[in-house]
Amino acid sequence: MKQTLMGNDAIAWGIIHSDIDMVSGYPGTPSSEILGNVNKLKHQMNLDLYAEWGTNEKVGFEVAYAGAVAGRRAAATMKQVGLNVASDALMSAAYIGNLGAFVLIVADDPGFHSSQTEQDSRVFAKFAKIPVLDPATPQDAYDFVKIAADISETFQTPTMLRPVMRVCHARQIVDIDEETNFKPGKGEFKREIGRWAAVPRAGRIIQGYEQIERINALKEYNWENLIKPEFDKCKGGKLLILTSGTGDGFARETLEDIGIEADVVKFKMPYPLPENQIREQFKNYEKVLVVEEPMPCIEEQILTEKVHGKLDGTMHVIDEMQKVYIQNALIKIGVYTGADLYPVVPFKEEIAARPPNLCPGCPHRDIYYAITKVFRKKKSIYPSDIGCYTLAINQGAIDTVLCMGASVSMASGFSIADPDKYVVATIGDSTFFHGGIPPLVNAVYQKHKFMLVVLDNSVVAMTGRQLPPQRENKEIDIMKIAEGCGADVYEHIYSNDIQHSLDFFKDMKKVYDEADGPIVVVVREFCVLDKEVVDDHIPLEFAEVVPEDCTACDQCTTIYKCPPMAYNADGKVEIDPFLCIGCGACLSVVCPTDAFVQDTSRGIIREENK
Amino acid sequence: MRYQVVIAGFGGQGSVFLVKILALCAGNKDVACLGTENHGMSQRGGAVSCTIKLGNYTNPVIDANQADLLIGLEKNEALRNVQFLKPTGTLAVNAESDFPSSDINATVFQVDAFDKAKKKELPIQGLNVYMLGVVVSKCEDFPFTEEDVKQALRDFNPKVAEQNIEVLEKAIADTKA
Ligand code: SF4
Ligand code: SF4
Repeated sequence: MKQTLMGNDAIAWGIIHSDIDMVSGYPGTPSSEILGNVNKLKHQMNLDLYAEWGTNEKVGFEVAYAGAVAGRRAAATMKQVGLNVASDALMSAAYIGNLGAFVLIVADDPGFHSSQTEQDSRVFAKFAKIPVLDPATPQDAYDFVKIAADISETFQTPTMLRPVMRVCHARQIVDIDEETNFKPGKGEFKREIGRWAAVPRAGRIIQGYEQIERINALKEYNWENLIKPEFDKCKGGKLLILTSGTGDGFARETLEDIGIEADVVKFKMPYPLPENQIREQFKNYEKVLVVEEPMPCIEEQILTEKVHGKLDGTMHVIDEMQKVYIQNALIKIGVYTGADLYPVVPFKEEIAARPPNLCPGCPHRDIYYAITKVFRKKKSIYPSDIGCYTLAINQGAIDTVLCMGASVSMASGFSIADPDKYVVATIGDSTFFHGGIPPLVNAVYQKHKFMLVVLDNSVVAMTGRQLPPQRENKEIDIMKIAEGCGADVYEHIYSNDIQHSLDFFKDMKKVYDEADGPIVVVVREFCVLDKEVVDDHIPLEFAEVVPEDCTACDQCTTIYKCPPMAYNADGKVEIDPFLCIGCGACLSVVCPTDAFVQDTSRGIIREENK
Repeated sequence: MRYQVVIAGFGGQGSVFLVKILALCAGNKDVACLGTENHGMSQRGGAVSCTIKLGNYTNPVIDANQADLLIGLEKNEALRNVQFLKPTGTLAVNAESDFPSSDINATVFQVDAFDKAKKKELPIQGLNVYMLGVVVSKCEDFPFTEEDVKQALRDFNPKVAEQNIEVLEKAIADTKA
């Protein structure tokens, strides 16, 4: 059956057509839609399976992995930095293995489109000694879920599927199974303490040897089933290109563009590689070029003098793949001598950058505005965390961002290192659950003095508005959790009256001055993209600026920074009517000369075509 | 057939919607396609560029000097992406009359759809479909017909299809006039 699918939809179909019936994980771009799509299909077809978010990637991994230990077919989904969080579990699981199938789906982000790092999860698989499959297209992604599930079950090892952003968010007509005959498994845990309880040393060293045997057997499997058929199609000659994942598509198109014939071999499973059999093939070629992203995973396994790639500087070493890099590599190794087919001629004048910004009407903007007004920048440090609110970096309201939950632990550290400053940390609700609680316990335990502001909009806004724990189950209460940790906790209910937030934080400053440990503030907010609640919060009070009253003082465009605000040709601020959503927040307080007034001519605008 | 399209705009303008529509057009005609879209920052006012390659391609990304068509939903985003167009390509751009068309090494069709929206001639959320209408009516090598696009709009969401089709027809009528 042919369907136009995005890679993440294709993976969801692959999961269902592999009879995987337990899925858990944590959202993160570019992986987020996978679990959501599984859930959608579950409801559409009324399937009996579990697909729910864990509070973080380690939790998600472990929930799904236990399913595989009990003999079911399971999958965990996350992005590459999420794997860092789950890596503790992965390293042990790689020794212990599983009975059913355990497919670990990790989406990579070469080119840093929405991530702090560009790490290569294939290298992580190699580090953990587990097999990894690397799809090149949505079609591959669908097919490879099935291969991964079968390998995992046959070899009793966690098996990784590593799509990159250009697979997850690529769109293609995908051929999937005609029918869905979903057969959920039944788990039955079989007690085997020596295997499932990872204590040192006797049991572990045996498992360590078994793991090495497994990898050797997988190399054989890889050669016989996946690689040899590819080499059998090869002709030999001047150039052999070795690829995996998206590198394959880029390489084939480049060769076509520049009109060169060469053999291209795509490794479906780039680790573990049967290095000897592969090197044996090199004698049929003058040169070997490895095209892969983002790190030299294949190259390091099969390196010989003939091999060119990232390690000898032939290929680019950072950022996303482009055909021009392959063309230039072919020039460097003397295979291509023609013209540059991909000349970059940008528009002659510089074009203003468009930094992502908090949405018009987003409550975070007001809270950051109030924080920086009350806790002056010169006298404060603002650690923050991962989520939409990180975009307040444009407002100058964030000093540090490291990884999930680090705002809290870094606030502890700053309070020790630079005790004369106010330390005001911000974190979102989902991030608080993910990684913010243990460092809060630590801060209370050791009496670190700072203020932690939990921006609770009750949605995982950045990754597509997944529902966080407290929204699904009201019993979970961030205030009670923070109180249970032993912190002093205060609540602030957001309204579009900025003065209200300013007054609240002024009071909090007094509390801070008297405190001898961490203070937690829970701000009850909403997200303007959250269709279920937004109508209750946006009063449709649109703004305009009276030009005569605007003194071009920059206050609104540098400190408040709602996207519709910009200078016009006359040097006055103007509100872009297409961007203003009518939250009314800027109408008071923001402009020192009261140039902002309500634009009563505006009707209601609803956004449909998104 | 081989045809490469870049769609450039900023968050909230609906570039991704256009990719979905073009993918549906391709699916309906059994033309292979491979597209890609930027997520993550796309709702938050940041630059969003999407690609779709129609025909037998193996990677979804478009390199500089390769695209047949660039749809610019906004002037600056169009200029930021002109490098992807080949000299024989086409740019359809939503921009005021001072758009530097003569500096661009490609065929340029420029309309001020923002102005039309301000005058309430079309709903602002229909800007993307309006620009697609401009392409359908003006761009000679564009591989899909008006009827193909309408069918895709219906397939995507029958509820809002009529509204979108109206905008499409308006664009075609405006540009033919
Ligand atoms: S998506 Fe929601 S939380 Fe994120 S910036 Fe926009 S309004 Fe704020
Ligand atoms: S009313 Fe003001 S703060 Fe609200 S969206 Fe419009 S410009 Fe931004």
